[in-house]
Amino acid sequence: ACGNEESGEESNSEDGNQGTSANEEESIKIVAAHNQTSPENPYQDGLLEFKEVAESKSNGSIEVEVHAGTLGTSESELVESLQLGGADVVLVSPGFMSSTGIREIDLFALPYLFESYEHWEEAVDGEVGDEIANIILEESDNKFKLMGYWSAGVRHYYGKEPIQSIDDLQGMTIRTQTSGVVADFWQQVGAVPTDVAWGELYQALQQNVVDSAENAYPYFVQENHHQTDNGKYTSETAHDFTTRFLLINNEKFESYSEEQQNIVLEAAAASVEAERQALYDQEEESKQTLLDDGAEVNEIDTAPFIDIAVPLQDEVAEEIGVAHLLEQIREQR
Amino acid sequence: MKKIVKLLEKVQLSIGVIMLSIFFLAVIIQVATRYLGVSVIWTGEVANYSFIWSIFMGTAVMINRKEHFKFDLLYKKLTGKMRSSLSIFNDSILFLFSLAILFYGVAATDNFWNYNWVSLPFMKMGYVWLSVPVMGLTMMIYLASHIIYDMKGFNREEANK
Amino acid sequence: MGGILIATFIILMFIGVPIAFVIGIVSFIGIFNIPYIPEVTVPVSMLNGLNSFVLLAVPLFILTANIMNSGEISQKLIDFALSIVGHIRGGLAHANILVSMMFAGVSGASQADTAGVGKVLIPNMKKQGYDTKTAVALTAASSTIGVIIPPSIPMIIFAGLTNVSVGALFLAGLIPGVAIGLGMMIFVFILSIKRGYPKNQRASLKKFLKLFLESIPALLTPVILIGGIITGIFTATEAAAFASIYTLLICMFIYKTLKIRDLYGILVDTLTLSSLSLFALAAASALGELMSYYQLSLIAGEFFTNNISSKWIFIIIVILFFLFIGTFMDAIPAMILFIPVILPIALQFGIDPVLLGMVTIISLAIGLVTPPYGLCLLLAAKIGNLSIEKSFTAVVPYILIVLIVLTLVVLFPDVMLFAK
Ligand code: NA
Ligand code: NA
Repeated sequence: ACGNEESGEESNSEDGNQGTSANEEESIKIVAAHNQTSPENPYQDGLLEFKEVAESKSNGSIEVEVHAGTLGTSESELVESLQLGGADVVLVSPGFMSSTGIREIDLFALPYLFESYEHWEEAVDGEVGDEIANIILEESDNKFKLMGYWSAGVRHYYGKEPIQSIDDLQGMTIRTQTSGVVADFWQQVGAVPTDVAWGELYQALQQNVVDSAENAYPYFVQENHHQTDNGKYTSETAHDFTTRFLLINNEKFESYSEEQQNIVLEAAAASVEAERQALYDQEEESKQTLLDDGAEVNEIDTAPFIDIAVPLQDEVAEEIGVAHLLEQIREQR
Repeated sequence: MKKIVKLLEKVQLSIGVIMLSIFFLAVIIQVATRYLGVSVIWTGEVANYSFIWSIFMGTAVMINRKEHFKFDLLYKKLTGKMRSSLSIFNDSILFLFSLAILFYGVAATDNFWNYNWVSLPFMKMGYVWLSVPVMGLTMMIYLASHIIYDMKGFNREEANK
Repeated sequence: MGGILIATFIILMFIGVPIAFVIGIVSFIGIFNIPYIPEVTVPVSMLNGLNSFVLLAVPLFILTANIMNSGEISQKLIDFALSIVGHIRGGLAHANILVSMMFAGVSGASQADTAGVGKVLIPNMKKQGYDTKTAVALTAASSTIGVIIPPSIPMIIFAGLTNVSVGALFLAGLIPGVAIGLGMMIFVFILSIKRGYPKNQRASLKKFLKLFLESIPALLTPVILIGGIITGIFTATEAAAFASIYTLLICMFIYKTLKIRDLYGILVDTLTLSSLSLFALAAASALGELMSYYQLSLIAGEFFTNNISSKWIFIIIVILFFLFIGTFMDAIPAMILFIPVILPIALQFGIDPVLLGMVTIISLAIGLVTPPYGLCLLLAAKIGNLSIEKSFTAVVPYILIVLIVLTLVVLFPDVMLFAK
């Protein structure tokens, strides 16, 4: 690892060594990592597709090493690794990226920002996605290059009773984020955001420590939350079509040959397709599993929730300077 | 040298105990507020980061006190000059390790200086990462003093012969 | 390359470089050898290894144990235990085990138990005519229960590594911990009759009641703690914080054995002791990161799926492996390094993670009394002024008892672990 450790600005010359002396055939190794340890997670499908395409198209001049949770199960560690060069390609969620000081990213954490996957895809694959990618590159001092948007599913409420209207949520404790706009949203809805570790949530739902939680089907069904007393009733609030960033260390990327760069981008595009497809499939399968196990799902009129979310969206978007992007996303409905 | 090292250890131990106390208070506030239904969001990060500082300070102090767990079988078997040589050799290895901790600790601090805390965005992550090079540097000072001490003993034995 | 790293590890350890630092140095050497990974990864993963909410419980539990020893709660528990079992033949030995079980219910670590109980009971046992070997071995062996009966620092670490519920693990430790205690008592009972160990006078009912009342505040701690964690009212960290404050308040205001000015000393002891095991953890995190780059879990996974078909053989291998690792390494770094490798294979074999946790923790608890690096044995031997070799031969029967209980755990997990 001699020579690569300073990934500060001065190190361009060092990385340049690789770049300038590289002929078209010089082989490279890409360490790609996400934080999910389950081999069935859609992230794994996505990164394996990335590996497959990059390796086959490059005739072996690109080697990809996929790490499923083995380089850290926390996303903040993955961001650090990406910055230092310990990992070249990582997957992170908006919350952990904003600690690097890129506040605009919090846009994607807003509740009810998107109304469907079509709406979400149109936004992230269009101008909004492009602008966010530029912001990330610029504000990270050209360190993080965004190559595509993945999803971790659409999040619903699940609790000890089916929710028919907002009134049913009054005073309910809910396991969710306890700070930031997500917490504010649930508080205004009338619920009580509560901090429970993911690993403790099964027991907490079982033993009535919290009344409810919120997550996407593939995640909470895999943990059997729907088989607990307080996790039996899912109400499809669809309050968050989640966004995840597929990032590459830009200094490494620039050091690749042009042909390799194109292959990497092509592989990234293929991984986006693969991950989304795997996720959409799993969402349906998980929901079916949940129903087969005797848990229940109800639909719910989301209009009153959206009424609460909209002013919050306006406020936060103004604060982090992305009001125009919020407007654009709203127009795409 | 001896006086400086002693003072350094005292200061470092105090910093460690202060950090441990901050950590302790933060956890208590967290527990108390949770039961009162108020949410104080900064307690988690304050607890975690002061904990990291206290552990790294304690680690360096224990280097000075030579209390990290080790196998002293070989050391106990040796006597006189051989024993001092082994001591010097081991401390030199630790010195190099501490140097690496200092050097790369500075690199890490530099890289993450401007990252911010999630709950208190005006606080920089740099304040946390700084604990790594501080540990490295202080361990180097302690180890240097051990090596010098052993060298002196070495020379005394030489002269006695 | 793997061979060079292992050789370096062994040599550095043998010449007396502190083990935590050996782990760190080997991580550096390993990273130097992977051209595409920067060295700064080592200190970064060291700090990240410490940056976890569950770990905060570790110094809190150590603090509690220190308060118990400084505030003479240990002494009170010993007196109380003696009033229950002192009149049986081999009374002091039985009390030694019983008090370790009580101590275990409050403390998450084992060393503090060895130190606190050993300081009082080893000299007393010698005075009453027990041979030093038995006094030392019994003290060391019974204190391993400290990490098996909840709360337990190794369980908290295991839970953090695997996303298994801490509550479930704590519950799982209850029966095996008590079974080990009872097993040791049966053994001691037989030994006492054979060797004619002395018994104390039976405590009068009045004295028993007095000691019982005095011990109630201390005895309540495990009830509140374990109850709180298992029902989910407390997280492990909160429970640890609660326990430390509670014991502190008892000592200051009920027993009046501690004053404010004693606090600084207790905090210093807590800091230094915590640093020893937690720096080892930090270094192990760095080595763990290195092992990920070497893709050790993939290699190990392939090896096991290709060569081993029975889940029983796999469990036996895990037990033997951790017994071996435990001879020279602490439970915490051992789990940080190897649980990420072992867990996916265990899941493939259909082994319940709670069972894997108990197997791991009990095997590593034995490491506390196996030389060369058995902290409880070293400590007890030092207090009893006995050589490590003699102490170890005396401790072997107790290790067998723990292994019998471990076998029962593996064969009847439903009964032993309350597994779901
Ligand atoms: Na315990
Ligand atoms: Na051992």
